[in-house]
Amino acid sequence: MNVWNKILGWFSDRSERLKLVKSFNMAANMSFISGDPTILRACISKGNRNYKHQFSSLFNTGFRIEALSGRSLQRDEIIDIGSVILNNTTLVRQLVTLGFDTLQVHSNVGSYGCQWKLIDYAEIGQTLIGD
Amino acid sequence: MNTEALTETIVNSTNAWEYIAIIELVIILILLAFVFHLKNKNNIKNKIKDTIKQQGGVDANDVMKDIWLSKGSYDELKKKCHPDRFVGDENKQQIANEIFQEITKNKNNYQKLQELKQRAINELNINI
Repeated sequence: MNVWNKILGWFSDRSERLKLVKSFNMAANMSFISGDPTILRACISKGNRNYKHQFSSLFNTGFRIEALSGRSLQRDEIIDIGSVILNNTTLVRQLVTLGFDTLQVHSNVGSYGCQWKLIDYAEIGQTLIGD
Repeated sequence: MNTEALTETIVNSTNAWEYIAIIELVIILILLAFVFHLKNKNNIKNKIKDTIKQQGGVDANDVMKDIWLSKGSYDELKKKCHPDRFVGDENKQQIANEIFQEITKNKNNYQKLQELKQRAINELNINI
């Protein structure tokens, strides 16, 4: 029974992860259509295993945002996008519970990008730290 | 083989099986403790997970607004609502101080910044 619950939980988490990515992409498209300068695209990436926490999935633990700007983004611009996500505690908590442990922001041109350890911004409490 | 030697062999082999049984018991106890610990840990994990899920999700459109519009709104508000602009009117300066602190705290939250803008227009009588 426990194994069955785990299998169901895995599928449900996976579907919720895809739902979140899909809703983010949809909102990004709408925002670009209404005049914002850059189109953002979220996807699930490999993540950084050094940022692992108790809720981390086995594979693909990164939430990656790519800015399709047609140019290489400056460090400040990347940090601005990252800090908006990280300051939204509800979103960070949602990401953490869905098994993500890394937030990555990249531009589609160039290799420069930033990554953050999500659990540090979730403000969940000491129970999670030190797994 | 005489009887004495046979008895000694049997006693020795019995001792060996006793030791193996004790080691097996210890291993089983360790495994049980591990499973129990894992179960407790998972219960706590699921509780935290459920609590966070109950709090509800985030509207992605709001996140987009935060990303693209909050910076401009913050830059504008921090200039217009700076407490130093209201030197001489103690009441307004106090309100400006409160609003300015809130602006700094919510600099990435576009919706909150819009509410603060409205508050600034109403309470500080400024045009933004």
